[in-house]
Amino acid sequence: MSDVSNTKGTTGGLIWTGTVVAYAAVVLFPIFWMALMMFMPNDAMFARPTVWTFTPTLAHFEYVIEQGFYWNLVTSFLLCLVSTALVVVIGTPAAYAFARFEMKLKDDLFLFILATRMAPPVCLVIPFYFIFAKVGLLDTFAGLTLAYMTFNLSFYVWVLRSFCRDLPVELEEAAALEGWSRAQIFRRVVFPLLRNGIVATAVLCFIFAWNEFLFAFMLGGETVQTLPVSIPKLITSQGVRWGEMAVVGITALLPVLTAVFILQRHIVRGLTLGAVKG
Amino acid sequence: MTTVSDAVPVDMHGALPAPRERFWYPYLLIAPSMITLTVVSLIPFIYTVYLSLHAAKFGRVTEFIGVDNYIQLLTDGRFWNSIGIALVFVGIAVPIEFMLGLAGALVLNQQIRGRSILIPLLFMPTMMAPIVVGLLWKIMLAGSWGFISYNVLERFHLIGQTSVFASPDLALYALIFVDIWQWTPFMMLAFFAGLQALPLGPYRAAAVDGANGVQIFFNITLPMLTPLLVVIGLLRFIDAFKVFDTVFVLTGGGPGIATETPSILANKMTFEFWNIGEASALAVLVWIAFFAFCNIFYQVAKKRLNAF
Amino acid sequence: MKKRSWSVAATLAASAIIASGYGASAQDSFYAKAAAPYKGTTIRVLDEITPLQETLSKIVPEFEKETGIVVKWELLNHFEVINKGQADMLSGRGYYDAVMLHGFQVGPMLSAGVIRPVDDLVKNPKLANPKLDTADFIPKPYKTLAFANGKQLGFVNWNYNQIYWARADLLNDPTEKAAFKAKYGYDLAPAKTFKQMLDIAEFFTRKKGAMLAGKPLESDFYGVVLEGIKGGSTFGTLWRDFIQNYGGDIMDAEGHPTFNSPQVIEALKMWAALWKFAPPGIAEYSLVDVPTVMGKGIAAQTLAWSDFVLGVDKPGGSPYAGKFVYGPIPVKEGFKGGRFAEAEPSITVISTGSKHPEATFLFLEWLVDKKQQDKLVALGQGGVPIRETSWALPAIKGSSNKSLYAAMKSTLDVAAAKPRMPKFYEIYDALSGIAQEVGLGKLSPEDGAKKGQEAMLKLCTKCLM
Repeated sequence: MSDVSNTKGTTGGLIWTGTVVAYAAVVLFPIFWMALMMFMPNDAMFARPTVWTFTPTLAHFEYVIEQGFYWNLVTSFLLCLVSTALVVVIGTPAAYAFARFEMKLKDDLFLFILATRMAPPVCLVIPFYFIFAKVGLLDTFAGLTLAYMTFNLSFYVWVLRSFCRDLPVELEEAAALEGWSRAQIFRRVVFPLLRNGIVATAVLCFIFAWNEFLFAFMLGGETVQTLPVSIPKLITSQGVRWGEMAVVGITALLPVLTAVFILQRHIVRGLTLGAVKG
Repeated sequence: MTTVSDAVPVDMHGALPAPRERFWYPYLLIAPSMITLTVVSLIPFIYTVYLSLHAAKFGRVTEFIGVDNYIQLLTDGRFWNSIGIALVFVGIAVPIEFMLGLAGALVLNQQIRGRSILIPLLFMPTMMAPIVVGLLWKIMLAGSWGFISYNVLERFHLIGQTSVFASPDLALYALIFVDIWQWTPFMMLAFFAGLQALPLGPYRAAAVDGANGVQIFFNITLPMLTPLLVVIGLLRFIDAFKVFDTVFVLTGGGPGIATETPSILANKMTFEFWNIGEASALAVLVWIAFFAFCNIFYQVAKKRLNAF
Repeated sequence: MKKRSWSVAATLAASAIIASGYGASAQDSFYAKAAAPYKGTTIRVLDEITPLQETLSKIVPEFEKETGIVVKWELLNHFEVINKGQADMLSGRGYYDAVMLHGFQVGPMLSAGVIRPVDDLVKNPKLANPKLDTADFIPKPYKTLAFANGKQLGFVNWNYNQIYWARADLLNDPTEKAAFKAKYGYDLAPAKTFKQMLDIAEFFTRKKGAMLAGKPLESDFYGVVLEGIKGGSTFGTLWRDFIQNYGGDIMDAEGHPTFNSPQVIEALKMWAALWKFAPPGIAEYSLVDVPTVMGKGIAAQTLAWSDFVLGVDKPGGSPYAGKFVYGPIPVKEGFKGGRFAEAEPSITVISTGSKHPEATFLFLEWLVDKKQQDKLVALGQGGVPIRETSWALPAIKGSSNKSLYAAMKSTLDVAAAKPRMPKFYEIYDALSGIAQEVGLGKLSPEDGAKKGQEAMLKLCTKCLM
């Protein structure tokens, strides 16, 4: 079903492949350069003229490990995992209900969900900070998990709902005729069909949470410090530690890249948002 | 990989009527989400509205001042400047991301070797933390020591005695460029996914009729893809309007106020001036504008484009 | 078995008591006695990270040994310490018992009422160290910083200050010296006036391939570098180093804006003239970038924060370490008035949200105590003194970097905290935007002065507290 417009032969395919590879080489060059900087000695880093060959050093990695950045990595990972899992558990039934059932004020309730995403996050940080300060949620795992729900839960419900609408209703009707309960239908019929969509949307939520800076900076602290928040520590009075920054930046990219690599089929499917109708 | 949409006849999203005795069932399903969103979004938002109606310098809520904060904001040239900048930003960045994304998706949809490796790689700019994207482009474009500044701009004397982010004329466009770099892959991947999910039938018919590639694109592909394009375009529009991290890292809103987007201005009002009341008013105004826009958009798109 | 574990525990307990008793008697310090009621208390203190605090953090654990008060000492970078410290104080959360404030933060934080004055603590004989010798604090920064509205806010913790910083190897090069003299008619030396600074800037700005001190340049070289980013201390540099040394100010004694005075315009002209000889990236250079640019050897001279010099001008800090020379901030040629210099004396204050003001106060006293300050200078092999007696310490007096400390002293002699302005941040933001536009040539100095005055008047007609 894919490659619908492929009417040319393999030569055409090769040309297109070449185009994409060339495009990728240009677009990804800055990332490649940053990856090189992980191994670049400081004096070669911004040398004028640019130094292309250098003796690789592991000094930046040593510093990053010495300073305990792996701990930020663990924090980030746990936080994003827990908050994404919560979003999936809470959001999936809602997305399904919005797609499947008639409800009073359904459109309004649904718009409410979308609306929670509209205000600039910068403006919400201080209300959050003051509320959290009052109830003692600052610099706690629970606090940040909760804060991340603001942008991820609405996104998740919104996207997954479109996906739910594409499920064939007949299967559920047939199951209902068999006398299955709602819960059974959801577990045995709906869930397996929804898996692609759930994985894709959850990965996107994970990425958003993983990369988030402002909430993590203001609402976190010494105890809960995510990886992005640890980066400004590398701007020191001796100048910016660019090599270490490259290490942290690229390290932060790797888990997400791996996840996308492994789960790309689900993601490509899920990303259609179920919005494509004939 | 496409069993679901292949098996599903075209207009298939019927709604199950809830059994009469179980009318509460759907409400039960949405309850956890609604409660969570009320706690994490509605309460802070109501608090924001409350703050916007009070004098709240330094976060100390003192007296009720009605809409003074709003008047203050609406009569402030700087606020309108930030809206103007956001509109230029969105107006240039989003259409280009859109076009490039669509073109890229069409190319990706050809017979590409090693697509499963290329796709995650191409997606990398979108996967990076925005703060890292900002630093990355600082490494590339910073005045006198940036990689591209030195090797391209300075060598060929492209922009004279200035640097990209230090020039009031160039800084905004440089930020737009960074945004395009960061988000085109997202558009590309989403549109590619859409193309992959299109049913084959219409294409077979078109092939029988002997339609050429251009006709096929405009008569079949584009109309079928429209709902997706609309949804993704809207999401990107909202997010691009609120752009913060990259601008903050690269220019901080300068030089002068040449790149001061509403989010940067709000950040300044909050963390520099501690004018919490006025910053809250800004949040509410942006929210209302989006809400009105999305509401209309939702109604229109639902009727005309079957997009939601 | 049981018996044995019991005896182990008893031994441990006994040794703990002995150790603590021994510790107290060995120190026998004022702080050990005064802290007795607060033993076991945990206090949190937020400070900024610079080489000075990095050294201090090696000394801080000794306070716990001496007093039994546990100090959680948290360091964040310049921008974070402002954001987070203020958010904590303003929200009343009181997570931090004490927060370091730069001088300019004091005005806004005072008007928010979140600083706990220390007068009662200073008067309490149980808490006030009679031997603290506050008369030894370098007077001007301390007096302008630590007192407001007849109340004492704390002591003085850091004397951040700006100095003139240039490349000695270039200024002393015989060929360059001869060429300079031929062109400008006087001897090449570290600039004492802004006119000289401008001449040096013009003289040393050279293209790639040109000769510099007898060697061909591999890339462009610039006569000067200044902080030019929006925010940071860009405007502080313009205000306190340029405008005030041209005899002007941004407001008069009553706080009425005077940004359109002829002196301000003259200073803005010099500011704009210097920018022409700076690297193209100047408008994005922050206070961190300027020392980096100097360390990389891209520019001939600058005005920069002296504590950053300590990180650059040391073995391994830069290929040009040891080849720098320092001096007082230049003034207008023939300037007769009192000299000025940008400085940011900073103070650690007790937050009104603190639940342990007494224990925190003891720590603040201990920090500025001569003993700790001497240790700080010794450990850091120099530093930025807050006490007059520190100038005489071997690490400073015997330093090979004599011109650095002479320059620092010249700045600290006249360094004052920023005047208390409730709208400091708004004013600063508006004027630092204008500083950029004038520097970049987008606004003429006259128009910049006019626009700045309008912007200030819009914010306040009486800008002082």
